[in-house]
Amino acid sequence: MKTETTVEKMLRWRLEQAGTEAPPAPRASRLLALARPWWELWPERARQLCDRLGRIEMAYGHAMERGGGSRTGYPVPALLLRGDAEIEASARLLYFTARDGELRLRFVLELPPEAAQPPEATWEVTFVEEGATPRFLAVAALSVEREYRIEASLPPALAAGWAGLKVTDRMPFRFILGPAPAKE
Amino acid sequence: MAPENSARLVWFWTFWHWSQESFRDGVLLRSPLQGVGSHWDEWFRHEASAADRAAIAKVGATEAGQRQFIAWFFRHWAPDAAGAGSRPIARYVACQLAALEPFNQWKPFARYRGTYGVTGIAAVVLAEKSAGESADVRPVEAVVLPAERAISSARVVAEGFEPDGAELNGVERACASLLAGRTFGSFLALWIAGGRRPGAAWWRAGVAATWLTVGGVILFLLFGPDPGGSLVPLCAGLLAAWGLLTLRAVGVVGREAWRAWKMGRVLLAQLARSQVRLHMNGGLHLQGGSAGLPFCLNTLVALFRALPAGHHRSWLWQRSLGDLQQSAGSWAATGVLTSEGWVQPVVLDPKLRASLRHAGIVHFLAPRQREARQREVNRLAGELAGRPAERSPFVAGMRVGFAATSRTMHVHQAGHLAQAMMQIGGLMDRRQLALNLFALVVSAVMVAALPDLRRILLPPPAPIVVSPSSASPYYLWVSLDTDQPRSFRVRFESEFWASRLADVRRYEDGDLVPRAEMHIQRLPAHLSRDEDDGTIWIERRRSFLTREFLPGERVGRYPLSYVSRLRHD
Repeated sequence: MKTETTVEKMLRWRLEQAGTEAPPAPRASRLLALARPWWELWPERARQLCDRLGRIEMAYGHAMERGGGSRTGYPVPALLLRGDAEIEASARLLYFTARDGELRLRFVLELPPEAAQPPEATWEVTFVEEGATPRFLAVAALSVEREYRIEASLPPALAAGWAGLKVTDRMPFRFILGPAPAKE
Repeated sequence: MAPENSARLVWFWTFWHWSQESFRDGVLLRSPLQGVGSHWDEWFRHEASAADRAAIAKVGATEAGQRQFIAWFFRHWAPDAAGAGSRPIARYVACQLAALEPFNQWKPFARYRGTYGVTGIAAVVLAEKSAGESADVRPVEAVVLPAERAISSARVVAEGFEPDGAELNGVERACASLLAGRTFGSFLALWIAGGRRPGAAWWRAGVAATWLTVGGVILFLLFGPDPGGSLVPLCAGLLAAWGLLTLRAVGVVGREAWRAWKMGRVLLAQLARSQVRLHMNGGLHLQGGSAGLPFCLNTLVALFRALPAGHHRSWLWQRSLGDLQQSAGSWAATGVLTSEGWVQPVVLDPKLRASLRHAGIVHFLAPRQREARQREVNRLAGELAGRPAERSPFVAGMRVGFAATSRTMHVHQAGHLAQAMMQIGGLMDRRQLALNLFALVVSAVMVAALPDLRRILLPPPAPIVVSPSSASPYYLWVSLDTDQPRSFRVRFESEFWASRLADVRRYEDGDLVPRAEMHIQRLPAHLSRDEDDGTIWIERRRSFLTREFLPGERVGRYPLSYVSRLRHD
C-alpha cells in the first residue's frame, strides 16, 4: 500500500468525506422563512399577544409638582413571555435616542411583585405600534444594575418619526419581551 | 494637582457635561447624579471619542495614574459638581463607577466596589434555610442625594436589594413622624420623663445633690425641731434653691426641645428635597419587613450626616444620631416598623444567633419580646461559646484564636421608634428618671407650701381690731382688719378669766370680717376682781403645711375693755 501522499490530497479527501456526511443545504424558501420575524410565521399567536398587550391599561394622571420637579416619563406597557406564562408589566425608559436611524435605548422593567425574580440576561424585544402592529425586533441585554440596553437599526419608516422623541414623551410603541434566541 | 494633570483628566468633565446636556435635552430620564453608572456605561460605549478613550487608557495604565484620578475626583470634581457636603455624594458616584469599565479593572477603586464607604447599622436578614450565620448580619449603607422623582416619587429607595412591598414607604413615613410628627412628641416626652440631660457628670451630680438637699430641708421643716430664728433664712434658702432648680430644669428642657424641634424640621426638609439610597449587597428580594427598623435608623443617620456642620446645634439629635455615625458599625437591629413608629415583634432566635456569631456586633436593637431579654441572650451566647468552631472571625481570612470566654452582646429593646432613639443615644437614665420623680414630688410639696412660705417671708401688715365684738359676755370676739386671717392668731391673757389662744378665720355668718372666737370662763380662784382685766395679743402665725411653728412676732396689744366695748353688730 502506498503510504506517501500530499497535504493537498489529504485535505481534498477530507472535504469529500465531509460533503457526504453533511445534511443537505436548506432550500431558498426555507432560508427566507427563517429570516421572517415571528409575527409573520405565527400571525394568529401574534394577533393574540398584540391584543392582550393593547388591553394593558396605563392611566396617566398629571399631578404636577411645584418647581417643575416632575420628570417621571411614561411607562411603556410590556408583555413578558416567560415559559408558558404571560406577565403584564411595564418598562420605564431611562435613555432614548434615535439618531441617524440608530436606536439606543435603556429601560428598567417594573414587574408585579409575584413575578419578581433574578433578571434575565437578555430579552428579545418586539416593538409593537399603538395600532397593535409589530414593527421590528431587537435584543435587549442586561446592563448596569437591572437595566436593559438596546442598540438596533431602525426601519427607515420609523427612523424619521422617532428621531424627535424624548425620553419623557409618551412612546408610540409597546413591548413584547420573549426569550432571546440562543447565539450560534 | 498641577494644571497639566487636571488636563489629563478632562475626559471625565466631557462625560459629565454630556450627561448634563443629555438630561437637559430629554435624552436621559435621570439626573446626571442619580443615573451616573448607567450614563457612564452609555457614554463609554458609544459617545467617548477616540481621544477620550486614549486618555482614559493612559490614566488607567499605571496604578499611580489611577490614584491621581481618585484624588482629583474627590478633591476637585466632587466639590465642583456637587457643592458643599459633597463627600457622601462622591462616595456614591465612586461606588457606581467602580463596577463599570474601565474602573472595574482599576485597583484603587476596589475599596468602593459594592460600598459607599459609610458605616451603618446592620440589618439581620436571614438567607433561605439559615439558622443564623454571621453572614446574615448585613451592613446597610445610606447616602443622601439631591431629590429626583424620575423613577418613583419615593424618597427612600433601595439599591442592591428588593424591599418587601411598600416597606420603604413605611420607613419614609416613620422617619417623617420622628422628625416632626407624633413620634417626635413621644421621643421628647420620653426624654423629658427620664432622659439623660446635657452637661458634665459633676454638674449633673451637683444638681441632683441640690434637689436632695431641698427635699431634706422640707422634711426638716415638717418633722424636725423648731428652727426658731432660723426659720426665715431657711425658708428663703429653700425657696431660692427650688426656684433656681425648677427654672434650670424648665430652661434646659425648653431649650433642648426647641432646638430638637427646629433641627427636626431642618432634617424633614432635607428628606423632602433628597433621595435617600439604602444600599445592601447580595441582591436579596426581602420577604417580610423585619429590616424596617435598621432601614429607618440608617436613613435618619444619613440625613443627619448630610447636614452642614453648622446645623448640628441640637444636643438631643447629636446625642442620638450624631454619635451613632461613629458607632453604627457595632450595632445591628431588627424589627418591623409601622409608619406610626411602632416596632413589632419578629422571629428573633436565628437573628440573635447570627449577631452573636458576628464578632463586630456589640449592640443589638430588638422589638419588645420575651426572647430579647438580656438573660436569654446571655444564655444563647453561652451555648454558642460552647461550640467555638461555629464562631466566625470578624475579618475574612484572619486566623483567630478563641481563648476568650463568651462575648457580651448588649440587647436593647424598643417597642417604638422613640424608644429606639433613646436606646441608641444612650439617653435612657434610670437615675435621671428617679430624680425627676423626686423633683416632681418636691415641687408638688413646694407649690402646696407656697402660701405658707409667703406668710413667713413676706408677712402681711399688722391688723387692727375692729367691730363687731361679741354680744355675749361669755364669748370674746376679736375681729381683725386683715385679708389674710391665717397669718394671725389671738392670745388672751387675764387674771380674772382663763387664758385662751384662738386662730383667726372667717365665719359663715354673713360678716366678712375675720375674727378669733373664744369661749371665756372665770378662773375659779381669780386673782383680780375686775371683769375687764385682760390683754389681747395679736401674734403672727408661722406654719409650713401641717407643721405649726412657735408663735412669731406680737404685732398688737389691746385691753379687754376696749374690745368688749366695740359695736356688737
